Amino acid sequence: MRPSLRQISPFILELYWEETPSDELLEELISWELAIKTQFEGEVREIRKGFQTLSCLVKNQLNPDAMKTWSRFLESKIKRSPLPNTLWEIPVCYDPEMGKDLIDLSRALSLDPEKLIELHSGPTYRIHFFGFLPGFMYLDGLDPQLHCPRKSVPDRKIDPGSVAIGGSQTGIYPTESPGGWHVIGKTPIPLFDKNEHPPVFAKPCERIQFYPITKDEFDQIAEDLKPSKKS
Amino acid sequence: MIKDIGYLEILKTNPGSSIQDLGRIGLGKWGIPISGVMDQRSYQWLNHLLKNNPNAAILEILQPGFKCSFDSFTTIGLAGAQAEVKKNGELILSSIIKIKPGDKLEIGRFILGSILYLGIAQGFQMEEILDSRSFYPKITAPSMLSKGEKIPFFTNQSEASETFSSVKTKSDWFQNKSLTVYPGPDFDSLSSESQTSLLESDFTISTLANRMAFQLEELMPNSIPERMTAPVYPGTIQLTSGGKLIILMRDAQTTGGYPRILQLAEDSISILAQKKPGHHIRFHLKNFD
Repeated sequence: MRPSLRQISPFILELYWEETPSDELLEELISWELAIKTQFEGEVREIRKGFQTLSCLVKNQLNPDAMKTWSRFLESKIKRSPLPNTLWEIPVCYDPEMGKDLIDLSRALSLDPEKLIELHSGPTYRIHFFGFLPGFMYLDGLDPQLHCPRKSVPDRKIDPGSVAIGGSQTGIYPTESPGGWHVIGKTPIPLFDKNEHPPVFAKPCERIQFYPITKDEFDQIAEDLKPSKKS
Repeated sequence: MIKDIGYLEILKTNPGSSIQDLGRIGLGKWGIPISGVMDQRSYQWLNHLLKNNPNAAILEILQPGFKCSFDSFTTIGLAGAQAEVKKNGELILSSIIKIKPGDKLEIGRFILGSILYLGIAQGFQMEEILDSRSFYPKITAPSMLSKGEKIPFFTNQSEASETFSSVKTKSDWFQNKSLTVYPGPDFDSLSSESQTSLLESDFTISTLANRMAFQLEELMPNSIPERMTAPVYPGTIQLTSGGKLIILMRDAQTTGGYPRILQLAEDSISILAQKKPGHHIRFHLKNFD
């Protein structure tokens, strides 16, 4: 496994891989990410990840000499950075009232709603990166039985905390937004807090698991998370 | 120097007015867009005229019908769109305007261009959130300016003694139809017919044009499958499965799954930002040396 290099703009370049996303590929990506941070400290302004890409926004224009330096760097041997074992458990209420597409989707997939919930809350998912919206996690690990086409007409408004499935992916909408995924439940846990640095609780490469809760438990957790009033 | 606070009060505005600087760099890893001024070229020129820090916050005005007042001495500057600007009812022709307490400024008709920048000595002093003053929904409150809003700035309590050059800003550069682009990662996956029509036809800016993206009216045949989600930036040109061309702008999301066929040069993003729905553009391909 070795990355290729391509230039995107005078200030952006990209390392990319052809391999299918997996823990191994992610480990390769974060190993290179760390190596770049060490080697090009002060020169790289921002590093972003995709499933098969690592992109760098740099300070100085990428002339042919700079590109040669990067090419040579990609030949070097780098230190492996193992993935963390951290696992976050995220409560999800799969009540059809909160997962408005749960029943329709289970019908489309020829699964009982109970089976769909079991398949969704069974595995652990790896956070590959954040994107799309502030605090939106791209997760790997959805059971192939739950893969389904995105909605042909996106919903205009999806509530924050909505847990949804689209294509071969699952995710949680951190803020209210339009969206084309099928909403199957909702978490009372806030995903994005602009007043915190970092504004998210989980980091890329950590894992999450969903566990089903009832509507009453949802209300209870939501209530407990409210800032307490001093009497 | 004593830094006393003065306020600009918004008396009237149409939707789309916001405070912007160069945006949030380095937070893309949390899914946070860069944001910042749409037209960086006018912004940099304006902060240069005002002898400001290169990241000083300015007011970005997207529509005529803007009116504000000032309660303290300061110096302001205008750049970007050419518009009819009046101070206390009198037409202003200079880019740099000295302000006294009680002065009112009114932005009328836009003659040329679509974004007007109002800068101020030392920049507007809104609270910084996640390293920037740039407005963005869910990160800053508000995400748009409205009537009654008071925006703080530093005043020197007396008429500015410093001299600013009173040049008239030129804005013919943004009438240029030609936008410089670099080949995107998926450019080579387009058929040679598609590549030719992409580079040899005029395209029209559709009414779906905002701070997030400009969509073009013409469709392009597309047989490239959707890609694994990958990083995107302001200036990335995506081709959707339905054949729509989407040019991402400053508030663009940080990643996307559509093929990335072209990338606009930085200065061309500024040119495009000043265009309106119905205007024509043409892509001019430049390869890396």
